[in-house]
Amino acid sequence: MAFTDSEGKSDDDSKVSFESMMYDALKIRLVEEKIIEIYHSDRIQSPVHLSIGQEHVAVGVCAALRRDDPLFGTYRSHAFYLAKGGDLKRMFAELYGKATGGAKGKAGSMHLSAPEVGFMGSSAVVASNIPHAVGAALAARRRGTGQIAVAVFGDGATEEGVFHESINFAALHRLPVLFLCENNGYAVHSPLAARQAYRIGTLAAAYGVPTHSLERGHDMMGIRDLTAATAARVRAGGGPEFLEIHTCRFREHVGPGTDFDAGYRDDAAMLAWQATDPLTVHRDLVDRMTPALLAEIEAAMAFADDSPWPGPEELLTDVL
Amino acid sequence: MSSESLNTGAMPDTLSYGEALRLAMRDALACRPDTIIMGQGVDDHKGTFGTTLGLAGEFGADRVFDTPLAEEGMTGIAIGAALNGLYPIMTHIRADFVLLAMNQIVNLAAKYRYMFGGCFEVPMMIRMVVGRSWGQGAQHSQSPQSLFAHIPGLIVVTPSSPRAILSTYAHAVRHVRNPILCIEHRLMYGLDFHMDEEMPADPLTSRRIRRGRDLTIVATSIMTLEAQRAARHLADFGIEAEIIDLHCVSHPDHDLIMDSVRRTGRLLVADTSWLPYGTAAEICRIVAERDPSALKAPVATLGMAPASCPTAKSLEDVFYPSLRDLVDRAARLVRGGNHGIPLPDERSMADVYKRFKGPF
Repeated sequence: MAFTDSEGKSDDDSKVSFESMMYDALKIRLVEEKIIEIYHSDRIQSPVHLSIGQEHVAVGVCAALRRDDPLFGTYRSHAFYLAKGGDLKRMFAELYGKATGGAKGKAGSMHLSAPEVGFMGSSAVVASNIPHAVGAALAARRRGTGQIAVAVFGDGATEEGVFHESINFAALHRLPVLFLCENNGYAVHSPLAARQAYRIGTLAAAYGVPTHSLERGHDMMGIRDLTAATAARVRAGGGPEFLEIHTCRFREHVGPGTDFDAGYRDDAAMLAWQATDPLTVHRDLVDRMTPALLAEIEAAMAFADDSPWPGPEELLTDVL
Repeated sequence: MSSESLNTGAMPDTLSYGEALRLAMRDALACRPDTIIMGQGVDDHKGTFGTTLGLAGEFGADRVFDTPLAEEGMTGIAIGAALNGLYPIMTHIRADFVLLAMNQIVNLAAKYRYMFGGCFEVPMMIRMVVGRSWGQGAQHSQSPQSLFAHIPGLIVVTPSSPRAILSTYAHAVRHVRNPILCIEHRLMYGLDFHMDEEMPADPLTSRRIRRGRDLTIVATSIMTLEAQRAARHLADFGIEAEIIDLHCVSHPDHDLIMDSVRRTGRLLVADTSWLPYGTAAEICRIVAERDPSALKAPVATLGMAPASCPTAKSLEDVFYPSLRDLVDRAARLVRGGNHGIPLPDERSMADVYKRFKGPF
């Protein structure tokens, strides 16, 4: 069965299908809508940075990666955790602070990890794990694993010195790293214009790193194909490359609400993004997939509800 | 770990601190193929004060390599390499430069294991060299052990001898799955040591290096050597000092310290850094919490003056505690202010230990 995305491109059976990506994106959306729904209940006592509006970037990129490719995420990583293949039950248990969570309740929303599928954790300090992807790539080359490492970060991270230190070393040693910038235009509430004297798409060129910018961050097939072609060159030893994908955060920086009444941005841009959002456009597909996904989500929440809290013996476990 | 199990060949009777470091680095590369050494100038003609000299040639330029001047980024790269199966050793020719990497060390390396519930390990070593004398000044002289030892998840050592280096580094490379920070002292690099010192099976602890009945001196790094010089002088006047080399500043042996203080009743802590909120304060906390009644006299502490390190020799000499200070404080602890013990007429510690003429 072939699907077409909003630009009418046809699908290719050898790749992760559009329908499969829609399923993954919808799963992320429904998970986060469920988080919004229950947030007032305080079952999740952890700050949540929702990916709603940005799911397609994670799904499109991960569709073009190997399961064992290490990927390092940000505090806004529900989408990448799930897109990389992270377990939903363990995620809800972690959000609830339960012992069955991926980190036994010590991580919460901001530090999800699933090393079994190459999701190497997420940091709440902006840009701080970009060099970890570079180091993982150094190890991959030395050990001959064939992996490429992926650093996921936002537009704000390009302002941090460690971003430049990392891309310089990766370029100098031609390491297999994919730098992936999710540009949603805001660092918390500060727009690009208040922060950057440069254009993000021009930065990597200073280090001789090829850059590809994609304006339409809802185009999962376009993201998948761009990532696949880029990853193939990186994996073949061509050195690091930089992807900038424009996207839109529909919700507030942190928390379950929206913030278009706060005055720092209006909803016109979001409404334009929503008009091309496959999760809005492909209503029939969404309606068909939703019941099964909601059942899976309810089961994950029940698992989390029924799981025990970590006991006091966990307090000093895993320090050393 | 006995020295025989190291990949270093037969041990001589004496060895310099710097040569021990080179042997430890060579052993780390030889004992596991995934070890890499990275740092500014590790493969140059000086080889990190000789401690990495020749290793790039012997083990390959892909395992021992120079780095950009990017302390935070390179520390993060080491973390990522450790997460994906390597054992990285980073070098910093001055401990002061490590402060540029505090974010990676404190927010990431120290927390990866715990924050992710044990899903990850970050086995890696960060070596840093403390400078002293010849006008090292405010930014080439700091000794940051208490900054790092404050943070759960980090192991911090201040080795004071070649045996301590060889056993600790070999143990770390083979068995430790957390970041370990090794704070080395530049003044000791050129000193030769006898190799007959006993090391505990697990070197990540403290050890008693001299027995005595009258007071306990707990010391770090080069202050351990100063404590031994002071103890020899005091012994001539009938005062026997017990000396504990704290060594693993992050995980000192509380029982060893308490047992000693219970016997001597007097505690003097000699650290290479500042006193407030520092290593000396921590040792006093241990005693105060465990059994303050063991003390027959108030504790005494010696460390750097509460200022940045000055460059002028006349100021530097009073910035650091001298052998005279150490002897005087120890004698006062045991016999009071009118102890009557002549103080050694000695040049400053730097003059005694220094075997180089600057610059570095």
